[in-house]
Amino acid sequence: MATGLLAVLVPALPMISAVVLLALLRESRRTAARLSVGAMTLTLVLAFTLLVHHILAGDASVVESVGSVGSLWIDPLSLVLWTFVSGISLIVHIYSVRYMIEEPGYARFFALLDLMTAVILVMVSAADLLTLLVAWFLVGVLLYFLLGHDHRRPAAGRYAFWTQITYRFGDLPLWFAALILVHVYHSASLPVIFARIQAAPHVQLWGVPVPELAGFLLATAAFARSAQFPLHIWLPYTMDGPTPVSALMHAGIVNAGGFLFNRFAPLFEHAAWALHWAFGVGLTTALIGSGLMLIQNDIKRSLGYSTMGQMGFMVMECGLGAFPLAVFHLIAHGFFKASLFLGAGDVIGDARAHDGVPPDAIYTSVVERRPAKPSRLPWLVAASLTVLVPVVVLSLSHFFVAEHLFFEQGVVVLLFFGWVTGAQALFAAHKMSQQDPWRLMLGILASFVVIVVGYTLISHYFGEFLYPSERMSLRLYSAASIHRVSFDALVLFLAAIFVGGWTLTFFADSFDFWRNLGGRGRGVYLGIYALLSRELYVADIYERLSQIVLQWSRRLNVWLRWC
Amino acid sequence: MGIALVVLATLFVPLFPGSWVFNRLVAGLPAGLAQGLAVLVLPQLGLEVLHLTPQAPLELAAWRPWGMGWAAVSALLYAVRALSARDVGIWSRLMLSSGLGLVWFVWWTGAPTEVLRIFALSWSVPAAVALFLAGALVDRMGGACVGLQGGLVEVMPRATTGLVLAGLALTATPMFPAFFSLWRGLVAVAPAWAMMWLPLIFLWGWAAGRLFQDLLFGDYRGESVTDVGVATIAAIGLLLAGSLALGLGASGGLS
Repeated sequence: MATGLLAVLVPALPMISAVVLLALLRESRRTAARLSVGAMTLTLVLAFTLLVHHILAGDASVVESVGSVGSLWIDPLSLVLWTFVSGISLIVHIYSVRYMIEEPGYARFFALLDLMTAVILVMVSAADLLTLLVAWFLVGVLLYFLLGHDHRRPAAGRYAFWTQITYRFGDLPLWFAALILVHVYHSASLPVIFARIQAAPHVQLWGVPVPELAGFLLATAAFARSAQFPLHIWLPYTMDGPTPVSALMHAGIVNAGGFLFNRFAPLFEHAAWALHWAFGVGLTTALIGSGLMLIQNDIKRSLGYSTMGQMGFMVMECGLGAFPLAVFHLIAHGFFKASLFLGAGDVIGDARAHDGVPPDAIYTSVVERRPAKPSRLPWLVAASLTVLVPVVVLSLSHFFVAEHLFFEQGVVVLLFFGWVTGAQALFAAHKMSQQDPWRLMLGILASFVVIVVGYTLISHYFGEFLYPSERMSLRLYSAASIHRVSFDALVLFLAAIFVGGWTLTFFADSFDFWRNLGGRGRGVYLGIYALLSRELYVADIYERLSQIVLQWSRRLNVWLRWC
Repeated sequence: MGIALVVLATLFVPLFPGSWVFNRLVAGLPAGLAQGLAVLVLPQLGLEVLHLTPQAPLELAAWRPWGMGWAAVSALLYAVRALSARDVGIWSRLMLSSGLGLVWFVWWTGAPTEVLRIFALSWSVPAAVALFLAGALVDRMGGACVGLQGGLVEVMPRATTGLVLAGLALTATPMFPAFFSLWRGLVAVAPAWAMMWLPLIFLWGWAAGRLFQDLLFGDYRGESVTDVGVATIAAIGLLLAGSLALGLGASGGLS
């Protein structure tokens, strides 16, 4: 009973704060900020207390609402995300106190931040489809007003509109999935629906298994919210909003896709094709997002594409059946990206004040002490270290921590990407000329081992907390598995792409390949460059399509005389 | 007799092509209060006409899929048309005509008149507020075409707040009643129907986004004007808050 009351207070506190700010404190800036930060601090404390209580003695429970909207599901996923969301929100609140001080609508801004936090807290703990739908929808509406906080800037309004319209598009599949689930399982309560899915996973609608159909729709809703290709355009262009909102969005709101996959994990156990689709879309997004990030010359847009790439990776993890890893990823990425956004202003200021890269210890050690005559490890040694060390370290750490999952396809693919990342780091280290290349390589190797072991341990225990049932983890990995031959072909194909990319980079640098490119090759190169610099023309296509619809709308209105 | 009454009702509870007459009638009234009252009263009159023939959905059972489909087409037509409307008055009428298509859809499922009244009010109340405020704009600026002046929030923050709230309510934003009406309407039918209705949510959001763009952003380019009074906006706030309560009430019935 007491836990239930405390749980209700978690989303209620920021909501009350928002109402008080809007009703009574619109003109008192300092009090408004204090109240808002205070409410957020208390929310974080409560959320953390409930999390600790659950770890020590808790059990999942549902707090029923008085009406049919507002029931909360107090389970490990909700509690972890409550703590994460209120933590990020508190950081953003504290940052905004000074950052927004000269902006008009100061109290309104804090009220909107509070409301947004409250709605996200309800969303991540919704115990029924209607509450989830309401909160999911409201996040889009509130984000529109937060992004468009500075109404004097038409660009802010334009990009807020892009975001709103993409979110609204993504709401449709969630609506549809909710209607199908209610129709088939005769309940809006999530625990009840999941129990009925487990009891009858093969129920069909229009000849398609319902979990599969709903899984496809839920995945599509998650794609729009987590900026998956081609529904990503809103994300890199929302930088015209206030920086704290960018931080909140990139660190918190955009992760909603990963949350949705995890919330519906019992459904995705029976939705193998939806998971394969998520893997494909996530992989494409990760590659395109990371690629586009590399060619940006604007730090905030570059961070936007970096988020897109990370979200692609997060969705890909879900597609592989590694659901808890996606939550761990979104939390780690959230804190990392929030710090980058909130520090972006300082970086820009530093870059304007000092002509060059800020001299810190690592930069001085690695770059400025570069000797006049390059000195590198023998290429055979470097190649062996690059290829073998990540395989050995990753395999051993995963083998000792979670042996039972070691041969699951999802784990193998994740290890593969871990190997790619590790090999990339070692390859980059090898390319740096140093007086003592062994010292540099050993330093990188030591860091790599610490990171891999730490990441493996944390993600393993985190996964056990979110999904205590080992059978469920196995079922998710099993649903995400594909035919053995297809899987081997996929891994070989991906390996060929990455190794080919490294080889191309290596030889292109060594032989000045791009400068010597002539004729048709140069044309292709420029074509690809144009395609990437126009961001694959996705925004242009949307623009053209919307113009066609608007043209028809005007014609209809003229024909019908606006009646 | 039954079918004649149904056709007559389409003039009051807008359903294309009868909706054309409804819109013409409302547009012909003076902007402001008169139009606001008209959109509140006319749909209720239409429901009274339908109430005279309670057996019609059963008598016309063979036509039911066509009737439900036509209601969706009518709603989609008006939603598409609302995309290019920049005048608050026209936008509100078109959005209302789109939303009230759901009343026809639910009528075909045999829903009682009391439920239909709540459905109609879900869209009529915010449309009445928007039309009333459009009248205030016409009084002050000679027109309610927000694209001409831009950034109305700068000079008329209260009126703009009222318009934004009414716009959100008209576009089925939670927690306003239209959202719950839509949910209840779609939960009651086979999921295949949702494929016709869900694009509406997207189109309504798009239409609202375009209207808000002109209302909220950029510098105001018109002459100096006075905002609507505090009492007026307080009354509007109370009305919309009341409709929020209605929305929460309308959300019941599912567990």
